[in-house]
Amino acid sequence: MPAEPESAPLAAPGMLATAAEPSIPGPFRLLLQVNLLQVWRKVSGLRQQSPLLTVLIGLFLIGYAALAFTLFHKGLRFAGGFPGLGPVLLERMLFLLFACLFALLLLSNLIISYTNLFRNREVFFLLPQPVPPQVIFRWKFLESTLLASWAFLFLIAPLLSAYGLTREAAWHFYPATAVFIALFIVLPAVAGAWVAVATARFLDRRTFQVAALSVAAALVGISLFYFRPDAVTDEELETRVLVVLDRLLVKTRFAQYPLLPSYWLSAGVQGWADGARTAAMFFGAVLLSHVLFFGGLMFTRMGDFFYAGVSAVQSRASLLGRWGWLGKAWRRRGPDRWDLRPGFGERLLGRVPGLPADVRALILKDARMFWRDTTQWGQTLVLFGLLTVYFMNLRHFSQQLTNPFWIVIVSYLNLGACSLNLATLTTRFVYPQFSLEGKRLWIVGMAPLGLPRVMLTKFAMTTTVSLALTGSLILLSCRMLQLGWDRTLYHTLSVVVMAFTLNGLATGTGVLYPNLKEDNPGRIVSGFGGTFCLVLSFLYIVASVLLLAVGSPWAGTGQVRPGLTIACWLSFALLSALLGWLPMQLARQRVRVFET
Amino acid sequence: MIELLNLVKRFGDLVAVNDVSLVVPRGEFFALLGPNAAGKTTTIRMLTGLIRPSAGTARIAGFDVQTEPLEARRRLAYVPDFPFLYDKLTPREFLRFTGQLFRMDDPTIEARARELVHRFNLVPYLSKTIDGLSHGTKQRVAIVSALLHDPEVFVLDEPMVGLDPHHARVLKDTLRERATRGMTVLVSTHQLSIAEEMADRIGIMAEGRLAVVGTREELRQRSGTSGALEQTFLALTEHEANFREEAEHAG
Repeated sequence: MPAEPESAPLAAPGMLATAAEPSIPGPFRLLLQVNLLQVWRKVSGLRQQSPLLTVLIGLFLIGYAALAFTLFHKGLRFAGGFPGLGPVLLERMLFLLFACLFALLLLSNLIISYTNLFRNREVFFLLPQPVPPQVIFRWKFLESTLLASWAFLFLIAPLLSAYGLTREAAWHFYPATAVFIALFIVLPAVAGAWVAVATARFLDRRTFQVAALSVAAALVGISLFYFRPDAVTDEELETRVLVVLDRLLVKTRFAQYPLLPSYWLSAGVQGWADGARTAAMFFGAVLLSHVLFFGGLMFTRMGDFFYAGVSAVQSRASLLGRWGWLGKAWRRRGPDRWDLRPGFGERLLGRVPGLPADVRALILKDARMFWRDTTQWGQTLVLFGLLTVYFMNLRHFSQQLTNPFWIVIVSYLNLGACSLNLATLTTRFVYPQFSLEGKRLWIVGMAPLGLPRVMLTKFAMTTTVSLALTGSLILLSCRMLQLGWDRTLYHTLSVVVMAFTLNGLATGTGVLYPNLKEDNPGRIVSGFGGTFCLVLSFLYIVASVLLLAVGSPWAGTGQVRPGLTIACWLSFALLSALLGWLPMQLARQRVRVFET
Repeated sequence: MIELLNLVKRFGDLVAVNDVSLVVPRGEFFALLGPNAAGKTTTIRMLTGLIRPSAGTARIAGFDVQTEPLEARRRLAYVPDFPFLYDKLTPREFLRFTGQLFRMDDPTIEARARELVHRFNLVPYLSKTIDGLSHGTKQRVAIVSALLHDPEVFVLDEPMVGLDPHHARVLKDTLRERATRGMTVLVSTHQLSIAEEMADRIGIMAEGRLAVVGTREELRQRSGTSGALEQTFLALTEHEANFREEAEHAG
């Protein structure tokens, strides 16, 4: 190891070296510098560690941006081309999109702010230092805003480019829109951070819990009422298109409520595209004034609330502590009662014939850890819940689909959506399983179960759960689209094969590219193997859905050609075997090496 | 100095710290002992300002941790059992950062770091990123960064975790020297040998209360044992548990 010069151990210049500066930077600037340096080191470390990963991520980003831009451009031109209705549709779509994204940003900011402010180790390092809580909050607020909003920026950049092109906007539309967006993202961040602090402070209070649940229930109730399906007869569709459209547009009118920040953004962007710059600037000024006021409050007045929130989170015993009868019921269940009798799950699994005790123990352990990790089941619930709601609503939509072409297209899009959801979950939760087991290798690895069986058990368990989820969803989709039993079987078999492949790919690559040092699944997934798995899964799904659609044995997308059908099926089977079976085989060899 | 006045912390129905009062004068090495869940870490977290007490006051060098937090923190250093370090910084950058947080100028950081870095054998690691360092080396970086601003009060939670015998010795010697120069040291630990060897006074916590405080000799006399501190500790904690059980039955 190279020895440092004895005289000046800390004198080497770097980003933090301030020898030339007469004054010492303030704590906020120091935090900014340190964290920027951290990010820079992480990015450059990634580049040095794996050039392939850098290329892969780069290609993926460019590919996404290009594909999204093309689709948005085509879609906007298609919608804008409706005679007489095009401009109205475009306007309403923009308002609707930003209103929905505002709600999503609010949720995303709330979750990220809560985690970043109250569950972050940096906060606990900084609190005993001579850094005012206001400065810590300011830094964490900034960090949370960026973390919660980058995906939004990534999503809308191609859309707004396509929108500007469709509207033939002048060059200054693009920088002006960037300013509007930069202002806009601050407002959901402010609201999210404020709700996060209030939640941290008052979550165990009965009044807060009742109020939060009442507001949530009211929102669900109002949404169900407001968006209730509106029956449209064939005759109305033929003869009274404008009336039907008007009824549809009424449902989207909430997005044009003038006190919504998304309204100011949409109106500003649209005004600028139309050349109505004064009106656009007015909305820009409205956004700016709100950002300055609320942003100013966040930057200067939240320190004490934040500190009280940190203390409250650290001091919380039980969320249900204020509900005496619930607390008693919980105590009666006796988490501290001396009882080693098997629980319900264990007794249930014990009834499965031929399941060895060690495999049963492993399954039960994984199931319990999944159930007790709110993030895991929460994300699964959100992803598949949204898809279920969409599929359920297809019954209203499919009655108007008289053309079999659209039925077929929608059924394959549903297959794709379902598989993409599954791929997200397999990469997020199945891929890191083996790496996470690395930390617990002293238990599972040392047990006589053997690592190959551990791997196969995990594969079998995750595939079974995946099959239950995706199979049910595809059956629901086919039912709602009123497809015949033969097509239903075709789609179900397809998703079964895809579930096996995606789980095999995630389990296999998880073993082939383990990260045994890390115990944070998010960090394990963000490495080379996780990215590789995600990209392969995505490409596999796109290829499979295309092959299955082109090779469909039913007319609907064109003339059926048996040769083409067989070629497509064979390609699908080969691709599935290659991406599902091969990583598993390689992984089995790898775990044998681990054991020897 | 450290002053804890009738400190109480409740987690719902559970009283984790129950009316703890303690004064650790300037230059004293105080060891806080106690079985698991005795309330040691909660007491330290209130002392360092990580959580608010339910009642009572904690003061560092005369400054109330809650009402004059910045004045108190300027005089405090705290190293938890698993300290947070920015993993993509080098120790050099981290030490500069913590020094600057305490408003130290470059020559002061340089002068104070030089001795500590050499003493804790960190010179070969100064330019490596922290994520590649061993647990013990990270612990040394955290200790050096904490001592950099020459704190008046140094609070450590299980400071020897991950340190090899050589660096454990270096830490003990450094703490003793600093205490002689006036730094107040409060160490929470399960390693009775540290308390036995280093502490001027020892406090034993049990079930949220500061059961006994005194020198080793005083504790021995009180427990009625002689010999190693382990016997004294076991006798006192057992006595405390029995006493509580009897009080509960009587109540």
